[in-house]
Amino acid sequence: MSSPAPRLKVFRWRAVGPLLVLLVIAVILWILFADTIARHESQQVGTQVLGAKVEIQDMHVDLPHGKVTLRGLTIASPHEALRNLLQADELAADIDVVPLTEKKLIINRIAATGLRFGTPRATDGRVAAKSGEGIAGRVMAETREWASQFQIPVLQLATGKLSIDSLDPRRLSAIPAAQALGARADSSRKAWQAGFDSLNLGPTLDSAKAALDRLQHASATDLATLNDARQAIDRLKRARDRVTALDRGVTQGVAGLKSGLAELDSARQRDYAFARSLLKLPSFDAPQIGAALFAPGAIKPFERVLYYAQLARRYMPPGLLPRAATGPKRARRAGEDIRFPKERDLPAFLLRSAELSFLLHPNSAQPQRYGGQLSGLTSDPALYGRPTQLSASGPQLAAGAMLNHVREIPVDTAGATVGGITLPPFTVPGLPLRLDPGAATTTLGFTLNGDTIHARFAVRSTNVQWARDSGLTRTTIGELIWRTVSGIKDLDLEARISGELHHPDLAVRSNLDQAIATRLRAVLGEQVAAAEKQVRARVDSLVNDKVGPVRARVNEVQTQAQAQVAQQRAKVDELQKQLEQRLRQVLGGVRLP
Amino acid sequence: MFAIIKLIQSLFGALHSEGTPGQLAAGIVLGSFLGLTPLLNLHNAVIFAALVLLNISFAGGMLGWAVFIPFGFLLDPLFDWIGHSLLLAPGLRGLWTSLYNMPIMPLTNFNNTVVLGSVVFALLFAVPLFFAARYGVVRYRATLGERVRQSRWYRAVMASKVYNVYKMFRP
Repeated sequence: MSSPAPRLKVFRWRAVGPLLVLLVIAVILWILFADTIARHESQQVGTQVLGAKVEIQDMHVDLPHGKVTLRGLTIASPHEALRNLLQADELAADIDVVPLTEKKLIINRIAATGLRFGTPRATDGRVAAKSGEGIAGRVMAETREWASQFQIPVLQLATGKLSIDSLDPRRLSAIPAAQALGARADSSRKAWQAGFDSLNLGPTLDSAKAALDRLQHASATDLATLNDARQAIDRLKRARDRVTALDRGVTQGVAGLKSGLAELDSARQRDYAFARSLLKLPSFDAPQIGAALFAPGAIKPFERVLYYAQLARRYMPPGLLPRAATGPKRARRAGEDIRFPKERDLPAFLLRSAELSFLLHPNSAQPQRYGGQLSGLTSDPALYGRPTQLSASGPQLAAGAMLNHVREIPVDTAGATVGGITLPPFTVPGLPLRLDPGAATTTLGFTLNGDTIHARFAVRSTNVQWARDSGLTRTTIGELIWRTVSGIKDLDLEARISGELHHPDLAVRSNLDQAIATRLRAVLGEQVAAAEKQVRARVDSLVNDKVGPVRARVNEVQTQAQAQVAQQRAKVDELQKQLEQRLRQVLGGVRLP
Repeated sequence: MFAIIKLIQSLFGALHSEGTPGQLAAGIVLGSFLGLTPLLNLHNAVIFAALVLLNISFAGGMLGWAVFIPFGFLLDPLFDWIGHSLLLAPGLRGLWTSLYNMPIMPLTNFNNTVVLGSVVFALLFAVPLFFAARYGVVRYRATLGERVRQSRWYRAVMASKVYNVYKMFRP
């Protein structure tokens, strides 16, 4: 008798005990390290989102009561190496616990106290600017590229010399344009010649002449001759149509060649402008002076606001389509986290309301306390249904922002006026001068409607200080500029950007523009005119050798073609006229059927 | 070093245990999930619990984990592609949206391209891996098994105290 096969056990019951022990250990570890893990994760996510280091000194998560407290929050500036964007003494948040099971963070209220802005820091806290990775890195690169597109005129006055760089003929546009036009003229000539040859007027003209000769001796009853004459006239008419068609082609071709000649002139003007730019001549137009002096500094606020606006658009996109974000950092590939927002459901992140209390001039003897409100900050504006709003106010501050991503075309607006802010001194580009605006009133207005930007940045100060370096005193121009500006105590600067985001217009003006422009015109006017003349002569010497022969060739081709057409047409017309005249004489006014 | 010794012990311990080739192969399959997919995810807790609770080879699981970790790293670009294709497939959008807005499911990180891609790959790979591993164990036991069992170094390894820990979870 064979013994029955042992029954196969599916479960290993004795392993339940160790597994439970493992579970208990995991729970104990969570209780012990939840705060540390949450702090670490918050720092990591914050750093990834903002593109700058986020540091939290202490974080306590009280899940049963839905409370999270952060102390010592520091967010570095994504743009400045040794500066913080903000610091906060404490943030106390009330959160909904149930949505956490759906991995959704719903914060009902945050109370932030002791906020401070623009404080110095010991280490470089930039991340996106250095690594260029992730969404923040890409946005940073895009906004930098955007800011670099503005053509800021260069003002070179430090030495008082007009330097002439070498002019490379390969960078002139008139020469390739002339070569192209020459080739076009040659191909037109060949095409027209082929057209003339294909007309094949010789036999038609010969037969018409023969018909005319026979008609000279014919009578009204010589029907065969009369018929020949009429057929010859028909052939001449058809030949004339062919000549007319060719003439039309020649006329169009000639018009094209003429526009090519006009384009050559335009190319030469562009070459003049290019060569002038190589000279780095100072412009005497007041708006150009304003742009040269202040545009490099004035673009920065726009670039920074645009960075945050674009970040908001990436993290808070309109609509309900799936959206991807860089996955969590780990040893393995991070991949992408794809979110799937659902109608009438909670967004992945929502901050319903935040009350902000902050200090301005924190280091002064009497720091000023301000208050602000933030509401509706969410990852899925279409689900929340209301725009994100920020407002702050105080004795010398009025600020507000609205990110409206509820509809398909997002509209971001921001505006702020801050008084009594001490702006850092800066070197005026092109001039060895330092301008210390002192305590100024700064105004920023920003609207990004879809892809259309309108922004304004203004600084007004009544107590500016000027300082010069030793190099300036050695030049006459420097001395004159110094005398012009050193007496000016007011600064009224305004920069505006408007137009399509990918190619907006920048305009910068200040109360210094006119004064400096007048001085420059008086001192450098003759030098600049002489240098410009020299530049034009140099361009002409390089271009004329190529353009002159082409222009002559084009003229010759078009004259020749037009003459040929006219000649052929005249022959046909003359013969037709003679034939018709003789036919009328023979018939004596009688019309044959 | 300790880990390598332990792995060798586990491997030979499993190969020479009373467990059936099927039990060993099932352990290897579950272990491959741990190695192929990013470890710190909820589904791996379930896999680990299954490895401990089910009457299959725990050592096989550890072996499968150790063997498939490098493959996981190597195949990450493929997993990323698979996950991306699945998560962005218009036909599956309704499914993902429902799962994403369901309690617990988002905690599995299924919406991460690498996680989803690797889990799907591991699932598809599980069946051929199971049969291949079972065949391999049968062949080993029929050919090399007895010679290895008689070797001195095998007896030395199995006499180690660490082996006792393993024995607790043997099938």
